[in-house]
Amino acid sequence: MTVPFLKIDGIRKEYGPVVAVEDVNLTIERGELVTFLGPSGSGKSTTLYILAGFEKPTLGDIRLNGQTLLSTPSHQRNIGMVFQRYTLFPHLSVGDNIAFPLKVRRKSKADVTERVREMLKLVRLEGYEDRKPAMMSGGQQQRVALARALAYDPPILLMDEPLSALDKKLRDELQHEIRRIHHETDVTILYVTHDQEEALRLSDRIAVFSKGRIDQVGTGPELYADPATRFVAEFVGDSDFLSCRVTHSQGGRANVVLGGDFAVEGVPLHDERGTPGEGALLLRPERIDLSRSEPTGWRGLPVRVDDVTFLGSNVHVIAQTGWGETVSVRLPFGHEHISGLSRGDEAWLRFDPNEAHVFV
Amino acid sequence: MLLDFDRLGWWRWALGGFTAAVAAFLLLPIVFIAALSFGSSQWLIFPPPSWTTRWYSELFADQRWLDAALNSLKIGLVVTVLSVVIGLAASFALVRGRFRGRETLKALFLTPMILPVVVLAVALYAFFLRLGINGTMTGFVIAHLLVALPFSILALTTALEGFDKSIEDAAILCGASPFEAKMRVTLPGISAGLFSAAIFSFLTSWDEVVLAIFMASPTLQTLPVRIWSTLRQDLTPVVASVSTLLVLVTIVLMLLVALIRKGLSKP
Amino acid sequence: MSSLTESRSVTGRQGGRRMPRLFGEVGPALPAFLLIVFFFVAPVVALLLRSVLEPVPGLQNYETLLGSATYIGVFANTFIVSTVVTAAALAIGFPVAWALVVMPMTWSRIVFAILILSMWTNLLARTYAWMVLLQRTGLINKMLMAVGLTDEPLTLVNNLTGVTIGMTYIMLPFVILPLYGVISNIDKAVLRAAALCGANRWQALTRVLLPLAAPGMAAGGLMVFVMSLGYFVTPALLGGTSNMMLAELIAQLVQSLTDWGLGSAAAFVLLLSTLVLYGLMLKFFGTSRLGGQ
Ligand SMILES: Nc1ncnc2c1ncn2[C@@H]1O[C@H](COP(=O)(O)OP(=O)(O)O)[C@@H](O)[C@H]1O
Ligand SMILES: [Mg+2]
Repeated sequence: MTVPFLKIDGIRKEYGPVVAVEDVNLTIERGELVTFLGPSGSGKSTTLYILAGFEKPTLGDIRLNGQTLLSTPSHQRNIGMVFQRYTLFPHLSVGDNIAFPLKVRRKSKADVTERVREMLKLVRLEGYEDRKPAMMSGGQQQRVALARALAYDPPILLMDEPLSALDKKLRDELQHEIRRIHHETDVTILYVTHDQEEALRLSDRIAVFSKGRIDQVGTGPELYADPATRFVAEFVGDSDFLSCRVTHSQGGRANVVLGGDFAVEGVPLHDERGTPGEGALLLRPERIDLSRSEPTGWRGLPVRVDDVTFLGSNVHVIAQTGWGETVSVRLPFGHEHISGLSRGDEAWLRFDPNEAHVFV
Repeated sequence: MLLDFDRLGWWRWALGGFTAAVAAFLLLPIVFIAALSFGSSQWLIFPPPSWTTRWYSELFADQRWLDAALNSLKIGLVVTVLSVVIGLAASFALVRGRFRGRETLKALFLTPMILPVVVLAVALYAFFLRLGINGTMTGFVIAHLLVALPFSILALTTALEGFDKSIEDAAILCGASPFEAKMRVTLPGISAGLFSAAIFSFLTSWDEVVLAIFMASPTLQTLPVRIWSTLRQDLTPVVASVSTLLVLVTIVLMLLVALIRKGLSKP
Repeated sequence: MSSLTESRSVTGRQGGRRMPRLFGEVGPALPAFLLIVFFFVAPVVALLLRSVLEPVPGLQNYETLLGSATYIGVFANTFIVSTVVTAAALAIGFPVAWALVVMPMTWSRIVFAILILSMWTNLLARTYAWMVLLQRTGLINKMLMAVGLTDEPLTLVNNLTGVTIGMTYIMLPFVILPLYGVISNIDKAVLRAAALCGANRWQALTRVLLPLAAPGMAAGGLMVFVMSLGYFVTPALLGGTSNMMLAELIAQLVQSLTDWGLGSAAAFVLLLSTLVLYGLMLKFFGTSRLGGQ
């Protein structure tokens, strides 16, 4: 068996009584861009700080090419990092900031100059060498921070919500830059974010964090199509949840009943306890079809329309089931049943049980 | 409305006039001393019959004044260095440490600032008599360090709290050892706080009277002690000239602080 | 299974390194700690012990202090002067702090510069100025006579009047600066609301602004009061020999009379009053204002 590039092995971190991170396992290949996605307080930064060596895990190990990293102090780990807050050295110019890691490594003057130029070119800030950080915008500062973190050619780059302080437009632009730089260099990137769109846009794989644990690791489409937990389903993509009762389960599929009499059969089942009981049925708003008239040939879920919102390329319908639960449906603009649809109308919903999920 | 200048009506003239009067009251003694130091009257008649620089000549001709000033300077500089170094180390512990009792420790470090100096002076006097360091440079330095250190710790903990530790962490990940990162990144980053700590420490020592009165010996006096003992005898105008020079020193240091703050806030 | 053993070994090492890590965090405070304990706490405690041990063990020093009219007089002087100084500083300081908040920037900057200059000017220099200003032939007496407020020169120095004037002068910045902080944090909208509710200026002042500034006044006043209790230089120079204040008494007992027992007892009385008042202040206003100079 080949040795994995980077292995996070059973990490646990306690701060006094608080368990910040619990049983985190992850294997990362060289050159991958993996995001840690999760709400604030879910342990993403803590995991990153353990990788950086600023925190020691209570339990577990980090291995790079099979060797433990834990015995190496931060400054000898040769890891790059871009922080959430702006961390340029305020008293040094942009050029000197990028040169800092090289000078610390006692590189020759010519090498330093050459490398600083290369890095400025990589982050497209040629000509900014002599600027002081305070005179640059947040986006520019994070580019410099990126250049500084990559100047010494680290095998791993850690990024802790580097774009969260920027406005939407700059963020899109820099996400694009990060992808480009990831392609141009072969650095392995671990990227922390709480923004699912950012995670989906950037990453090869996403690790979804919840309450200090990794709930699921996978590509964006995998997480969307086959969420392992209700939390992942909620966090990645939009979701509708309807409470249901599981009447029968076998081989990872379940038959459920909604609202007392609407039966759905053969839905993929998660967290199987093996016993029938209460559960939640996940539907994706954009995978639900809507009909204005009682359908013939299939049994639709009858609902009453509460609200219709036009959102450009699609239309958002909020509807209520007979027993009072809310379902949101996203229909493409131009869908045959939208025109004239308004509050109070009756409608029938249809979805494919194979695409739904039951969480027990 | 009471906090809007435009809507105060005639009250604003009353308030402005009163404030101007208080400002004059605060400025009066300082301007007065300066004028007095150039007055010719031995008896401090004001306005003086004529103007002279005689008191300055007398001051600079008197070796005892020069020695006292030199002692003050020496003690002040040693105290400044020790206060900043010890205060910096303590501030790192107070700001960065995650141990219990941190607040209590900080309060302990600041108490010499709030206790009546005379109590500390008497206590140290007794203690130093036992140790046999009363009237020595060491005694002076220790005594002044005790009252200068709180200022240093206040300035430096504030500066360190305002300095994002992530910047130091970034330097460490760049390959600098924790010590190197502090020297090359954190200290330059809090240089304004370091300057404030140094200047406040120096001024505290330079101006300190009460401890100095107890620490002094006939052969070792600081400038304030010399002023004090002179004043206890008579109100010679020479004191006015010393005082004027002291005010000048204060103004220069204050301007320095203002310039440094300004210069460092927008590099 | 092998990963479990490895994990254990990691924890084991962590456990062993807890103490060094803690030392690394507290260690830098050690020089300051030793300095304070050895040269501050120990001498002060030793002094206090002398008050009950010298010349013979017992409380006789405190009995002498509290039983003699002379010493009671000193306590009374100290208390009266501190009270008057505090009241005067607050009465003068409040309008100035208020004015500093509302004044145009250019003007308030000048007043601030004067405040800071006065605060940092050598204490002896300022006291010397008042000694000269207040003497019988001094400028103040001349001005008073010129405007006809008095026919013959008043005795303004070498008595408690001089001490009170000089100390009020010195304490003013210590009231104005914290009060400025408090008043500038009051929301202007509150006072505009008071005006809309029909309050006239005087009502707005007494019913809104003053109550809102009251915690700041109390904290600033308490601080000035405590500082005044232990003040040494100004009372010694501006006051007379017949009406001493507490700090002078302590110095004299120890230095001139070498009565260490009585001197220490007086020092303890001062220390205790200070600590009690600071305790009150901390209780009511929190730590934030302690370093407010
Ligand atoms: N130094 C610390 N001391 C105590 N608790 C901490 C510390 N750092 C983080 N935590 C706790 O650990 C949990 C995870 O925090 P963090 O890793 O920062 O989350 P995230 O980066 O996902 O927002 C949180 O509950 C946080 O309160
Ligand atoms: Mg975080």
